[in-house]
Amino acid sequence: MSTSTSVTGVDVAEAASAPPVPLAARTRGLRKLYGRTVAVDHVDLDVPEGAVLGMLGPNGSGKTTTIRMLLGLVRPTAGAVSLLGHPVPEHAGHALPDVGALVEGPGFHPFLSGRENLLRMAAAEPRLATSDIASAVGGALERVGLSDAANRRYRGYSLGMKQRLGLAGALLVPRRMVVLDEPTNGLDPAGTREVRAIIAELHAAGVTVLVSSHLLAEVEATCTHVAVLQAGSVVAQGELAELLESGSPALLVSTPDGTAAMEALRGKRIPSRLTPEGVRVDLTATTPPEVIAALVHAGVEVHEARRDRTGLEDLFARLTQEPQGEVRS
Amino acid sequence: MTEVATAPAVPVTGRAHASLARLVRAELRWIFRRPRTLVVLGLLAVIPVIVGIALTLVDSPGPPGGGPGGDGGGESLLATAGGNALVLPVGTLAMALGLLLPLSAAMSGADALAGETAHGTLRGWLLAPVGRGRLLLVKSIGVAVFTVTATVVMALTGVLTGLVINGTGSLFTLSGTTLSFPAAMLKVAIAAGWVALQLWAVGAVALAISAWTEHPMVVLASVLGGVIVFSVLGLLDALDWLHPFLLNHSWTDLGDVLRDPMPGGPLAEGALRAGCYIAIALSLAYARLSTKDG
Repeated sequence: MSTSTSVTGVDVAEAASAPPVPLAARTRGLRKLYGRTVAVDHVDLDVPEGAVLGMLGPNGSGKTTTIRMLLGLVRPTAGAVSLLGHPVPEHAGHALPDVGALVEGPGFHPFLSGRENLLRMAAAEPRLATSDIASAVGGALERVGLSDAANRRYRGYSLGMKQRLGLAGALLVPRRMVVLDEPTNGLDPAGTREVRAIIAELHAAGVTVLVSSHLLAEVEATCTHVAVLQAGSVVAQGELAELLESGSPALLVSTPDGTAAMEALRGKRIPSRLTPEGVRVDLTATTPPEVIAALVHAGVEVHEARRDRTGLEDLFARLTQEPQGEVRS
Repeated sequence: MTEVATAPAVPVTGRAHASLARLVRAELRWIFRRPRTLVVLGLLAVIPVIVGIALTLVDSPGPPGGGPGGDGGGESLLATAGGNALVLPVGTLAMALGLLLPLSAAMSGADALAGETAHGTLRGWLLAPVGRGRLLLVKSIGVAVFTVTATVVMALTGVLTGLVINGTGSLFTLSGTTLSFPAAMLKVAIAAGWVALQLWAVGAVALAISAWTEHPMVVLASVLGGVIVFSVLGLLDALDWLHPFLLNHSWTDLGDVLRDPMPGGPLAEGALRAGCYIAIALSLAYARLSTKDG
């Protein structure tokens, strides 16, 4: 079950070997059928402790279903889930008090104010002492920037405010893990930045974060790890940096004299090509210092040299658009 | 918004569950903050007043036309309610038990699970986590408190209206005896308690349906349809073997409370029936809730 998480040319071999980092959440062979529709199949997801894992996938790829199974809301058809070391859904009750979650958008009562809604939610939080409820709610509201609107009815909230309130619900109690399903949905750019800041704070505090998103920039900006879902299966997962560099390594050299640079490199038998951004040098057989030395020796001006990342967007496009024989519907 | 965040000031307990009392308090606050609840309670409070005034104005035996109750029990009682401060509250309860009170109990049960699922708010509690058994317990306590409140509100305004219109000298039983004020209040309390128990049974059935759907409307329609069908079946003599199984079979016997001495048989049977409905309905609700996708 846990062997084939790497498909489509992206080699992420670590998934199968014994992980050195303890896992906050783990699924093995997860499968969920709704009637005859396969929502999720063969999902082997590893969420290392302390990581910010971005779950990336197009709409309908099974992100939310996987999250719901991870939290014990939905019983998997087959497979095993462990959350903070407890089997789910059997012992979800032991793990969930330390897990904050915003799943499938915020759910609140329209006739209550934001604060009253959170108070109702907080009443059910095992980890909160009754005397701390009011201050915890106040703190969470402040954290998501809703203090001013806290006493207005939820009915009148904008989409972004609703989303913020949902986020506040996940942050009511200090958590070991926070699960956010499309947290930036409906947020303006400022709101999106604030969510990123919150995720960064959680990460700095050692909290494991699982974020799902169909926005690539979002994941690239906030996550340390990434898992890509397509048609209900994980098609790639691992550390973000590794995945980003999993294409052929290259150095992008910006120089005013591209042709001279190409000639100098050809003399050293280093493959390169001219791109609009500069000279793209293939690093499979050489190292950046050698490339730069060769250029400087040949008298070519080097303004800047940087690693050319394939970019998660390219990767994502490659992973989700190529036809794949082994993924069933 | 970012300054406060890094060091959360909230201390964390090691508890595995929020206390039941805290959950029930939150649930009751939610129920009684809901505008709909207050409107229904207000309407129920006004009914005895309207009936009392109408009976005083008309002052003739036999109500004009059929009331919403439609099954006769409440109406024949109401015929004697004019000029009698004891019969008015019990009579209006009996009338409302025909349809209005079951409807409000169904509403409460519908909002409790289906309504919360529809709003996405049930998930919040499931993730807290609140165990599914505890959730059902809290929800059924909420429904029970609501049905008791609805009955008590109606009985109270009924008593007040009766006393204001007819004075304390008008506490006659249907058997012709006159009761002291405390004895009369005891009878009203027995009637209200019995009605509340019947309504709790309706609410439990509503909760069971509520656990199966996410549309509160389905719950209301099913309970309402069920009450009507049960009433019709109860009228068919050919089906008399079925009658003991119909929840509302003894609802028309509420007037027995007003007799002196009070014949307890039908009322006790009705209470037992309600108890069975509650046990079965809550079991079904639990069976569904414990396996339901949240």
